Amino acid sequence: MSMQSKLNRFKKHLVTEKNKAEPLVEFTPQRQAIQHHEAWKSLQTAPYFYDEEYCLVREVHYPVDQRWGNYSFKELESVMEAWMKSGDIHPLSSHNLSPADLLFFDTETTGLSGGAGNTIFLLGHSQVEEEQVKVKQYFLPGPGSEIAMYHYFLTQVKELKNLVTYNGKSFDWPQVKTRHTLIRDFVPSLPAFGHFDLLHGSRRLWKQSLESVRLSVVEKEILGVEREHDTPGYLAPMLYFQYLKENDPELVKGVMIHNEWDVLSLITLYIHISKILQGSSAVTSIEQYESARWYESAGQFGVALQKYTEMMNGEGSPSKMAKKAAAALYKKMKQEHLAVPLWQELCQNSSMENDEEPFVELAKWHEHQEKDFERALYYAEAAYGIWKRKKRLLKRTEVKEKAAFDKRIQRLRKKCEIT
Amino acid sequence: MEQQARGYAVFSFFGARHRGFSYINPFHARYLFSYERLFDKIGGEVTDMETKKTMQELLALLRTEPSINEQIVHWKTIEEKDAVTGPIPETLHPHIKQALQDRGVSSLYSHQLSAFQTAQHSHSFVAVTPTASGKTLCYNLPVLQEIAHNPDSRALYLFPTKALAQDQKAEINEFIDAIGLDIKSYTYDGDTPANIRQVVRKAGNVVMTNPDMLHSAILPHHTKWVSLFENLKYIVIDELHTYRGVFGSHVANVIRRLKRICSFYGSQPIFICTSATIANPKELAEKLTGSAMELINNNGAPSGKKHFIFYNPPIVNKPLNVRKSATLEARDLASQFLKNKIQTIVFARSRVRVEILLTYLQELAKKEFGMKSIQGYRGGYLPTQRRAIEKGLRNGEIMGVVSTNALELGVDIGQLHACILTGYPGSIASAWQQAGRAGRRQDESVVIMVASSSPMDQYIIQQPEYFFDRSPESARINPDNLIILVDHVKCGAYELPFQEGDSFGGVELEEILEFLTDEQVLHHQGKRYFWMNDSFPAHNISLRSASQENVVIVDQSDVANVKIIGEMDRFSSMTLLHEEAIYLHQGIQYQVEKLDYEEKKAFVREVDVDYFTDANLAVSLKVLEIDKNTKMKDQERAYGEVTVNAMATIFKKIKFETHENVGSGPIHLPEEELHTSATWLEFEREQLHNVSESSIEQGLIGVANVFRHVAPLFVMCDPSDLHVVPQIKAVHSGKPAIFLYDRYPGGIGLSENVYKIWDTVIHEAYHVIQSCPCEAGCPSCTGTMLEGENAKVLALKLLDAVRRDEHVDAIQTESL
Repeated sequence: MSMQSKLNRFKKHLVTEKNKAEPLVEFTPQRQAIQHHEAWKSLQTAPYFYDEEYCLVREVHYPVDQRWGNYSFKELESVMEAWMKSGDIHPLSSHNLSPADLLFFDTETTGLSGGAGNTIFLLGHSQVEEEQVKVKQYFLPGPGSEIAMYHYFLTQVKELKNLVTYNGKSFDWPQVKTRHTLIRDFVPSLPAFGHFDLLHGSRRLWKQSLESVRLSVVEKEILGVEREHDTPGYLAPMLYFQYLKENDPELVKGVMIHNEWDVLSLITLYIHISKILQGSSAVTSIEQYESARWYESAGQFGVALQKYTEMMNGEGSPSKMAKKAAAALYKKMKQEHLAVPLWQELCQNSSMENDEEPFVELAKWHEHQEKDFERALYYAEAAYGIWKRKKRLLKRTEVKEKAAFDKRIQRLRKKCEIT
Repeated sequence: MEQQARGYAVFSFFGARHRGFSYINPFHARYLFSYERLFDKIGGEVTDMETKKTMQELLALLRTEPSINEQIVHWKTIEEKDAVTGPIPETLHPHIKQALQDRGVSSLYSHQLSAFQTAQHSHSFVAVTPTASGKTLCYNLPVLQEIAHNPDSRALYLFPTKALAQDQKAEINEFIDAIGLDIKSYTYDGDTPANIRQVVRKAGNVVMTNPDMLHSAILPHHTKWVSLFENLKYIVIDELHTYRGVFGSHVANVIRRLKRICSFYGSQPIFICTSATIANPKELAEKLTGSAMELINNNGAPSGKKHFIFYNPPIVNKPLNVRKSATLEARDLASQFLKNKIQTIVFARSRVRVEILLTYLQELAKKEFGMKSIQGYRGGYLPTQRRAIEKGLRNGEIMGVVSTNALELGVDIGQLHACILTGYPGSIASAWQQAGRAGRRQDESVVIMVASSSPMDQYIIQQPEYFFDRSPESARINPDNLIILVDHVKCGAYELPFQEGDSFGGVELEEILEFLTDEQVLHHQGKRYFWMNDSFPAHNISLRSASQENVVIVDQSDVANVKIIGEMDRFSSMTLLHEEAIYLHQGIQYQVEKLDYEEKKAFVREVDVDYFTDANLAVSLKVLEIDKNTKMKDQERAYGEVTVNAMATIFKKIKFETHENVGSGPIHLPEEELHTSATWLEFEREQLHNVSESSIEQGLIGVANVFRHVAPLFVMCDPSDLHVVPQIKAVHSGKPAIFLYDRYPGGIGLSENVYKIWDTVIHEAYHVIQSCPCEAGCPSCTGTMLEGENAKVLALKLLDAVRRDEHVDAIQTESL
């Protein structure tokens, strides 16, 4: 039996990869004649040749005062100035950088896995210059043209200082590294640079309020960006495979526009998150609270405390959350005397009936710092009373917590008797 | 032609027979479950015991006690062997030499020396190393020598299981500490934490992993392993003999991919393989690695005195030649050792047998040592459970273990004194490996092989010379099986594009690459073929299981604490995990409440019932194409492609003690289809004109039953890998025929080998039936028969019709 007929017989046993079979159109790139030259041209796209191969480069410009969602691009400059001025240390602070140093970057790939067989077929980035916003895209006309594409891309971003991406730390850039490794003998090496991954911040700020923190959701719900006739990202691999067969630029036009919008929205997103952090934008209480926590985890306790304090005047649970967090931070900073009034306020607040924690803290404070055992016992017993009323899910923690209460209360009773 | 089961005789025909309960012969199974009485007896003895007997006293008992001695058909004593050693080589790095001397090693065994020298000459080699012969130094010395001189160099160790890799890591790290050089060795498997992975990739001098991990995690991500692949000096493949059949054929292709990646990064590693004793270690190593190999088989390790005893249970039914159950006899023998506190391993051939023996022995040990001192061990137990058992055996907390062949591998369980094989394990190599579990160091030890009534067992036990004089079987792989090959070409293309004219382990790829291009998996541009699909091919391809996906077994007895207790391949699940099936795990009965065939989950709940279930699999077989054939005037032998359709139809509930059928039900599962290769033997109806149709059918069934056991002996495979189907009217020719087919899509070369040695198979089958002491056919030869038929005569008549006169030497023909 011929190999071919065997293969057809065994087809059922072979793991299939979903696509429907259709005949291939032969694609032979020639330096002189790029297929569909005119169509590419109307897409502002031109070939870039390197050796025998080429990639397609698209460049689009926007005026710097154009609005994109709730902001205009030029507001990038003012938030960056604010970072510079405040001198606050924060993972997203761009002090020492100028707007054109930020490269807002995104890729489109043939799959979602991070392996060697996942090809990047489109690299896109935007950059805010003095007069205009420049979007640049590098498109792979066929899998054999990677050297041309990366050669051009890497020559262009030689001076790269800082990337801004959405999930680029764990997906896009590692994938660029993977592709680069495969052709590293033929292209310039990868530059070293800073990297802001805005997915991390979006998760902090909006995880609770949004059903998902996908860029498209954040755009719509937070940034005020409305896309019309967008090609969803998950279609990109299929459209590219189809393009490889037919070579019709129309097939990938939508993917290129989608990528263009992504790198533009990243500018707006960076402006917005910076404003929230800088306190120069109206914020929800969750945003305020989360940005305080973010500063706290970055070691900027002063800024964090200031943000918590701003929230304390309010009513309801945000104010309580802020007080608790601020008190905990004072304790961490070994300034417990500043935490005590906050705990006391929390204990007096009638709606704190459900939270024994400030009572426990005050019990500790009075026992260990003030040596006022009577008062410590009072707080410990009050805490236990609140704790007892609550329902708990896990038996094991319940037993452990009860033991801790018992131990504390017994110890305090003993100390009270002695003194 | 669709065949339906009726009664037990036909049952044993179809695919289900090798799985689970259908293994248990209906005739001796009834003895299996009448064990309570015997327990009382043994229990009594145990409490009467005042002092423990020593191994010598027990051996004397075996020789003198008539009830035991009369059943011993062969007793072979293998004398102890002295060590053959040589001085530590001068060229060895001084630190390593010092470390050896500090451990009291002043010389090396001859095979360790050969291994070191061969590696120093940059030759790949395979070392044949029996259990406890110091095989790890065969690879650790050359590898550490290289790293000591060149700290950038790397080595990749492949072990067939995760557990073995972890054992070896502990061992090599101890040695490295003693050497005192900065050499880093790590395991890399599914359990490696994410933060450690980065370190392993960048800095591991020795990376220990398994083929599955290499296949699905390392090779597809090779760009993250640049420093490993650029500096790879040695690839160590331990337990080479386990890489056979489907698994071996897959792994050979994984190694083809590995070599592609190495050459991309400019390294040309040397292969070091170690293997248990098989007939063709060099051939297997060369086929698996695609590299020329030197053979090192001058084992210089000493060994202790070993007694190898063949034990044939007494006949309890003379006319039917039914012997007492091997399981019961194994239990009685094991209890002799266990009650004298002699650590014992009992091997059983199926999962269900393990569970049954375990129940017996735990019951027995309960009074004396506690249940926990006897443990089961088999595939399907979870890793943590297995680790705990291995540890218990090493530190002596566990006195006895009942295992499937899972413990044949070099898992470190320390030294056991007695080993009992419940039935012949199916191959000489396997039997020796199981026997090697007893007396790993230099002690006197005993191995008892208890024969079952199966034709294979009776053949072996009555001809000890077959076992002791014959070289073990060859291990076969077929890396060019088209299904397997195409799977790995896909993975290979994902890893690096193929060039026009590329070959893959010597196979021309053009047609496959074109096929995959047509299938929209690859994209042909210029002279190259690129992966162009959004899937991750390695995730869809499993190296281990023929049906590619396992069914997970979920215990929902405790609603608040649902847990996974095991897994099973999909094909077996059709007959063992269908709804209402009784599934045994660690001696506990579970009933399957729901089998979600789509999601690959079986939901079970603990029950306590007095029956087990036995499912029937209906099989039909069609010939698609004849590739080779030999036509004679009275018969035709052929080899070709077939399609097999299997469908689970009904199950029966069978009561433990009485074997009554106490209920049945339908099974609703989709049909499984298999395209594979087969060989078949066709009879000319005219030659048998004086025999009735139903007699021919009975004869075919009898012959098929013997083929099922004899053929695997000559092609070294598990009986479950090679299925036998008799047909009274084969679809393609209308003639009586017996088919043997490979239980893997596309075939793995087993039936092709049978085609080459038909004369031997027929000759041996004839011999088995003829020499069987039964009168009219019995479970040890033709199986059970309908009333009034003499199966033996019918089967012999059929075989006589196709037997050829030429002298057939079974042993020589085997190596074809």
